[in-house]
Amino acid sequence: MKTSLNWITSCAQAKCTPEEYQHKMIMSGTAVDDISPLFDFSGVVVGRVLTCEKHENSDHLHVCQVDVGKDSPLQIVCGAPNVKAGLLVPTAVVGAKLPEFTIKKGKIRGVESQGMLCSTTELMIPQEVYPSVGEAGLMILNEEYAPGTDLLLALGLDDHVVDFDILANRPDCLSVWGVARETAAVFKAPFDPQLGSVKEAGGDIRDYARVDVENSALCPRYQARVVKNIRLAPSPLWMRARLHAAGMRAINNIVDITNYVMLETGHPMHAFDLNQVKGRHIIVREAAPDETLTTLDGKKHRMQGGELLICDENGPTGLAGIMGGLESEITENTQEILFECAAFDRTLTRIVSRRLGIRTESSGRFEKGVNPATVQAAMDRACELINLLNAGDVVSGVIDLYPNPVSPMSLTCSVKRIAHRAGVDIKGEDMVDILHRLDFEASLNGDTLTVTPPIHRTDIEMEDDVCEEVLRLYGFEHIPETLLRGETTPGKDSPYRLMKRRYQRTLSALGFDEIFNFSFTSQKQLDNLGLPAEDARLSPIKIKNPLGEDTAVMRTTLAPDMLKTLAYNIAQRNEEARLYEFGTIYDAFTRTQEGLFAEKRALCLGAYGEKADFYQMRDAVLTMLEQARLRADIQKGGEAYHHPGRSARILVNGKAIALVGEVHPAAAERFNLTRRCFIAEVDFELLSELFESLDAVKALPKTPAVHRDLALVLAKEQELLPVLREIEKAGGRLLEEVRLFDVFEGEQVGQGKKSAAFSLKLRDPEKTLEEAEIIKVIEKVKKKLKDAFQAEIRS
Amino acid sequence: MENQTQITQLVQRAQEALQKAENLKELDTLRINLLGKKGELTGLLRGMGQLSPEERPAFGQMVNQAREKIESMMAGREKELKASELEARLVKEAIDVTLPTDLPRLGNPHPITQVLDSVVECFIGMGFQVVEGPEIELDKYNFELLNIPKNHPARDAQDTFYIDENIVLRTHTSPVQARVMAAQKPPIRVICPGRVFRADEVDATHSPVFHQIEGLVIDKDVTMADLRGTLGAFARQLYGEGITTRFRPSFFPFTEPSTEVDLTCFVCKGKGCRVCKGTGWIEVLGGGMVNPKVLSANGIDPKVYSGFAFGVGLERITLLRYGISDMRWLYEGDERFLRQFS
Repeated sequence: MKTSLNWITSCAQAKCTPEEYQHKMIMSGTAVDDISPLFDFSGVVVGRVLTCEKHENSDHLHVCQVDVGKDSPLQIVCGAPNVKAGLLVPTAVVGAKLPEFTIKKGKIRGVESQGMLCSTTELMIPQEVYPSVGEAGLMILNEEYAPGTDLLLALGLDDHVVDFDILANRPDCLSVWGVARETAAVFKAPFDPQLGSVKEAGGDIRDYARVDVENSALCPRYQARVVKNIRLAPSPLWMRARLHAAGMRAINNIVDITNYVMLETGHPMHAFDLNQVKGRHIIVREAAPDETLTTLDGKKHRMQGGELLICDENGPTGLAGIMGGLESEITENTQEILFECAAFDRTLTRIVSRRLGIRTESSGRFEKGVNPATVQAAMDRACELINLLNAGDVVSGVIDLYPNPVSPMSLTCSVKRIAHRAGVDIKGEDMVDILHRLDFEASLNGDTLTVTPPIHRTDIEMEDDVCEEVLRLYGFEHIPETLLRGETTPGKDSPYRLMKRRYQRTLSALGFDEIFNFSFTSQKQLDNLGLPAEDARLSPIKIKNPLGEDTAVMRTTLAPDMLKTLAYNIAQRNEEARLYEFGTIYDAFTRTQEGLFAEKRALCLGAYGEKADFYQMRDAVLTMLEQARLRADIQKGGEAYHHPGRSARILVNGKAIALVGEVHPAAAERFNLTRRCFIAEVDFELLSELFESLDAVKALPKTPAVHRDLALVLAKEQELLPVLREIEKAGGRLLEEVRLFDVFEGEQVGQGKKSAAFSLKLRDPEKTLEEAEIIKVIEKVKKKLKDAFQAEIRS
Repeated sequence: MENQTQITQLVQRAQEALQKAENLKELDTLRINLLGKKGELTGLLRGMGQLSPEERPAFGQMVNQAREKIESMMAGREKELKASELEARLVKEAIDVTLPTDLPRLGNPHPITQVLDSVVECFIGMGFQVVEGPEIELDKYNFELLNIPKNHPARDAQDTFYIDENIVLRTHTSPVQARVMAAQKPPIRVICPGRVFRADEVDATHSPVFHQIEGLVIDKDVTMADLRGTLGAFARQLYGEGITTRFRPSFFPFTEPSTEVDLTCFVCKGKGCRVCKGTGWIEVLGGGMVNPKVLSANGIDPKVYSGFAFGVGLERITLLRYGISDMRWLYEGDERFLRQFS
C-alpha cells in the first residue's frame, strides 16, 4: 500500500527522517518496503518572468529576466511558446537536479542562460495533479507565491511516498488512519485525524432515498447519505497530490472524495447518481442464476447465483464491494448523489471477484476484511469533505442498516504469563502504557491486566495477541537469547535420511552428481517412455490447477526427468555426465489409511560420456548392493525404453531391486538424446529394507590360501554369472572366492564358442589344505560345469 | 712355505677378480670357482693329503682363514653390486611426475542437500529429531489444523496446487508439525525438512518446487527468548561467531507472537554489502510462539504447554551461501554447475 507520508504525519506526528521512520515502523511490525520522494527534483523555485525579449539568433527562443527572490534577476533563455512577461513559473536554478538532468550555467546561441523555466513534463508532475497549459508548454502557476520559494514547498508537494507491506491480520492498517495510529503508538504522539463535524443542509434523507438489505449476514452494515446540489469541479491540489501519492488518478471532486476516504479510512465508498437509481431505492440482495449486469468498465457479466448485488427497482446496478454499475455513474449532469459506505462479506467478495476476474481497490479491501463498526467515521469524513470542498449540500439524516452492532470485547490477561511467553521481563505498568498508546483500554490489578481493544482492531482475540502487541512496541530487540531447558531429548536423523546419506557417499565416490528435478512432469514425457498402454505409470495423479501442460501431473517414475536432464547436458555440449536423483514418486492407485496417495522413495542414475557404458551403470548398482551385503542376481531384459540386448533386472532374493540399461534408440530420439545414454532405477525402499548392517567382523584365517585357475570353453551365448554361481556352489566350504579374469572369442576357441577363465581361491580356515583335497574340489567343480554347461575344460 | 704362498696368491687373485665382477651373476660364478666343491680353495684342501701330519693343522687353519677372508670380501662386493644395481633400477624407473592425467572425479551431493545436511547436523546437536511427512497432504494438516480455515486469505497467499478438494501439494513443511503433535507427547523437539509446492511461475527467484525446514519445540515454559537462543546458536554454528539474529514482528496464522528473523549478513559481517543490499541483515527465517489455537486443535493443552516453531527456506540460504544468482540453476542439473560443489 502506497501512501503520502505527510498525510500520515498530519494525523500523527513523527519527528524524524524518512529513513528513521522506515526503520522504526519495520521494527514495530509495520513493514515498509520503500520510502521515496513524491517528486524527484530539487532546486526548482517559483520565478516571475519580468521581461521576455526575442533571442537575437533564434526565431523561437526568448531571453527572459526572471525574479527568483534574489537581489538581481536571472537571465534565462527559454524555448517554450507560452512564455511571457508577468507569469509565475517553476524555475530551475543552476545546480538544480531534475528527474532526468542537472541544470548548468551555459550559453544558448551566444546568450548566457542561468537556469531553466520548466514544464510539467520536465518535472514529471502529472496533468491530473497540476493541470497546466499542456505538456508542450511551461507550467504556469495559477496561484500567487513569493518568487524564490521552493516550488514543492509552495505547492505543498514536498512529500514522500511510503510503500507499506501490511500483514494479513491487520486490515485496519490498509488505510492512512491505520498506519497513522501505528505511527502515533511508535512515536508516542497523539493520533489526531483533525476531523470537523458534518454540516447538514436540512431536508430528510427518507424523502430522497430508500435502502433495503435482504441478507444482513452478507452485508452486516449499509450506510447511505444523500448530497444534493452537486457542484462538480476538480478537487483541490492537496487532495489530487495525495491521491497521486497513493497511485490513483484525480477525476472530479465527488469521485475523488470517495477514493480519498477509502485511502484515508480503509472503507471503500461508492457514489450513485441518485436520479439514475430507479425508484431511488437501493436493494442489496443475492443474484439469481443467469442475471446479467454491466459494470463501470462496460463489461457485461452473467451471474451464477448467490453473488451479492446492489440493485435498484430495475435490477442490478453494481457488484457489491467489487464494482459499481455503468448507469448510476457520476456525470457532469449529476445533481444528487447517494453515498454508500458498507461492510460486505469478505469470503463472498473474494470468491466472486476471483470468478469474474475483477480486482479493484475496493474488492481487495473487502476481501481482507472491512470493519462494520467503523463505517460511520468514514461516512462522516466523506460528508465533511463535501462541506470542505463545497461540492454540494448534505441532506440531513443517515440511513444506517446495522442490525447486529459489534461491541468491544474485553480480555483478562496475566502480566506474568505475557512476560513469560515473551521471554522479556516487562512490567505491568509498561504494558498498560504501551496498550494505551495503541488506543486499548487497559487497567492493572495485581497480576491481572484487563484489556479492551479499540473497535478498529478485529485481530485481538486472546492473551497471546495482547502479548504480541506489548512485545512489538516494547521492542523485539529486547528479547534475550536463552537456551532450552527441561527434559533433554536425544537428537537423531530420520531413517530415510541416514540411508540416503550412506549411499550418497558411495555415489559421490563413483563420480555421480546429485540432481533435483521437479516433482511434476507432463503426460507427454511419460508417454515418451513408450510403455505399454496399461502400465500404471502412464496414469499419474493430476493437479487440478497446474501452472501448465509441462507440470500438470505428479511423476510416477524418475526416468523421464533423468533423461531430460541428460539431454540438457548433451545440449550444453558437456562431454560427460554421471547423475543421480533421490526423489519421491507418486502412485495414483494406492491410498493410505488417511486417503492420501502412496509416496515412494526412489533413486535414479543416468550417465553418458566416453567412459559410460552398461557395465559402469550396472556396477554402480551392484556396488550399492554389495555395500548392503546383498547378493545380486541379474536377469537380462528391461523396459520398453531400454535397449533389449543391453538391459537387465537386478534381483535380490528373487525380488527386482533395480533396473539397468542403455536407453533404447527409439526412446533416445523421443528424449532428444543424441548420444548413448545409460540409466538405472533403484527401488530405494526395498534396498533400505533389505540392508544388512555389519554386526560383527569375521576372524582372519591363519592358514594359507591356494590359488587355482580354471579355463573353460563354453557356448558363445552362455551367460557367465550362472557359471560363476555354479562354481561357487560346487566349490563348497573350501572355495573362498571365485573371479572371472579373462573372456575371449576367436579362431583358436572355435566357431560359436568362447573361452572364460576363472581364478579360484581355496582355503580351509582350520588347517593347511592338502593337495588331495584341492584336487577333489577342482574335479567336482569341473564335473558340475561339464554337466550344467557342456563346458570343455582347457586347464 | 710353498703352500702358504699358494694360499696368499689365491686370496690375492680372488680380491682382484671380485673387483672385476660387474654383477651378481659374475659374483656367483666366482663364488663357485673359488669356494665351490670343485673350487680352487677346495682343491688346495684336497692337496693337504700330501702334507705331513704335523703340517696339516697349520695348513688347514690357513685355508680356513683364506676362506673367511674371501667370503667376507665377497659379501662386501655383493653389497656394493646390489646397491649399484638398485640405483640403476631406480634411475631407469623414473617417470614424469608432472604428467597431466584425467583425475578420477568425485561426484557431489546437490548444494541444497549439502546445506540441508549442515543445518540438520546443527539441530541434531541441540537434541532435535528429524521427522518427515508426505508431500501430497490433506488440507486438514496443511491448513485447518494450522489455524488457516477454508476461505482464509492466507490460503491465497500460499497459491496452492490442488489434487482434489481435500488433498493439496503441501505449501509448507508446517503440516508435519501437526502430524508430530498428533503422534508424540511433549517434550517435542523436531525439525522437518522437505519439499514444498506453490503455484509460482519459474524465474530467477521463484520456483513451484522448493524446500523448507520446519522446527518445532513444545514443552512447559518455552518462551520467545528460547526461540531467539536456539536460532542464535544455529546461526553461529552455520555461519560462525559474530552472527546475531534480529527479530522483526510479523504475522503467521499458526504463531503468536510471530517474527521474521534476520541474520547478520555473513558476507560483510553486518557492515553492509551487495548481498544484504547495504542493510547488514539478511532475512532468512520466520517463526514465533505456536498459536494456542494450533496446540488445542492438535490435542495439546495450551495452559500446560507452550512452544515455538520456525521455518527456513533452504533455497534462499543455499543461494546466499554460494552466491547463486539464479534459482533455476538448482533444478537444471547442468554438470558444470554441479561439479563445483566438491
